[in-house]
Amino acid sequence: MAIARSTFPLPDVDDPLTAPFFAASAHDELAIPHCDVCEEFVWYPQRECPTCAGALEWKAVSGRATLFSWAVVERVFLPAFAEQVPYVTALVAIDEDPRVRLCTYLVEADATMLRADDRCEVIFRDLAFPTVPDATVRVPMFRVIQPDA
Amino acid sequence: MDLDWGYRQPLEDISGTVAIVGIGETGYSKASGRSAREIGAEAAERAIADAGLVPTDIDGLTYSGTFADFSVAEFHEHFGTSHHIWSSPWGGGMAWAGTAPYLAAQAIASGAARHVLNVFPVAWATQRASMTGGPGEVHAAQSLKQNLEVPFGFFPQPVYFATIMRRHMIEFATTREQFAAVAVTLRRHANLNPSAVFHDKPLSVEEYLNAPMIADPLCLFDSCPISDGGAAYITTSVERARDLCHSAVVVQGVAEGYSGSGTHWAQQRAFTSTPQVFSAPDAFAMAGIGPSDVDVLTAYDPFTIVSLMQLEDMGFCAKGESGAFAESGALAFDTGSLPYNPHGGLLSHAYVLGIAHVVECVKQLRGTAAAQVQECEVAVYGGYTGHMASTLVLSKDR
Repeated sequence: MAIARSTFPLPDVDDPLTAPFFAASAHDELAIPHCDVCEEFVWYPQRECPTCAGALEWKAVSGRATLFSWAVVERVFLPAFAEQVPYVTALVAIDEDPRVRLCTYLVEADATMLRADDRCEVIFRDLAFPTVPDATVRVPMFRVIQPDA
Repeated sequence: MDLDWGYRQPLEDISGTVAIVGIGETGYSKASGRSAREIGAEAAERAIADAGLVPTDIDGLTYSGTFADFSVAEFHEHFGTSHHIWSSPWGGGMAWAGTAPYLAAQAIASGAARHVLNVFPVAWATQRASMTGGPGEVHAAQSLKQNLEVPFGFFPQPVYFATIMRRHMIEFATTREQFAAVAVTLRRHANLNPSAVFHDKPLSVEEYLNAPMIADPLCLFDSCPISDGGAAYITTSVERARDLCHSAVVVQGVAEGYSGSGTHWAQQRAFTSTPQVFSAPDAFAMAGIGPSDVDVLTAYDPFTIVSLMQLEDMGFCAKGESGAFAESGALAFDTGSLPYNPHGGLLSHAYVLGIAHVVECVKQLRGTAAAQVQECEVAVYGGYTGHMASTLVLSKDR
């Protein structure tokens, strides 16, 4: 892969468009850009509100979500993931606006028991790859919870 | 259905003004050791010969600006020519394999060109050894994917489409046996086509169901291979086409549609749809036909789920019913109601990103295909490139 950044595939926490996401995550908070004028979340992050061109504010959300879709990845596509397969990568729709889908890991998951619309909650973990020594980035992952939890 | 997740690109009506007169293909294979440039040159040579032209007749060239392996400089160097060639980087393969004839029609109408060559070579199987090229590389370079998708294991294409496949199964109760029907039908077609990479490699539903998972629910046979190979075709005016050696294949309709979320599949509002929703109706309207008039469909099929979604989005069956449609046998070239990718498609012919699909349409209309559809009058290509879909309607000259 012709990616110059030595920390790839860790996220680039200095990229201006997504830096606030990882800054919030560093203290165990899930934050999503929001337009206070249009009263809408904007995901993926953009430089301005696509509707009114106004400023976006990063807003903390509950971390509750529903499971939209998932895949159990068996194949190693990048050397960084060689020790990690099989893993469950998932799209979860946040409670505050289900149009906002986060790409995340489902942790503590029994892949055979997963069902669409399972209730999920955020859990923060330090992401590390064996190919990127001495570096971690704290990121939001999710786990399935019981409906009444 | 909610239709604010994408949009159509209005195009001028070019129906009946231009025709495809020459086609050229290289061999299709796993790693060949050849460069994309060599492959492109061979495809171009063969298309020019097939049209009964000489290299100096080619005064227009459309190619892929993203993978510019065979553009004007390479053309001149290969053929030893130096004449003026009008060109556009918005041709080549993928969705653009379907819209290149529109660019040609515009260039021909304006007098900028007379014979326009569209060429698309691929050497990703050979390049794989050096870890360059391939469908993932372009995506890994995008910062939003680097930061919000790749770190979470949501990469590359087989993983994206595994989640889309899962969601299709959730929303419409689509079964693995139904995805198997697509894979097995296309493998049967490839076994009738000596040029297919998977010729002489039969596949049964049982083998599909027992195959290793790449990203569950997407198994080995839901995904196309990485290949080497290329093809080219030449577009000219219908009047000029009638002077050339082959019976002309007339362009009746072209259209293109886009997803508002680009190649960020994770965020596409209509998660189990393709922008064919915005493209196919326009192309059919330009051609004055409906889905039931189509005698053969070649549509972009990197994964079985993409085949199923396009069948729905182009109007060949209702949304959510493509699985049952495929399982009913509808896609078989000889006994089905909608012969689909008779050359074997990306899944079983070769992953040359759609250019061979358009060539197959031309062969079907000429009556020279390996798995020939009987009484074939109208052939349609459905192109797909993630953020974009295209539709090309071709017919025999009337």
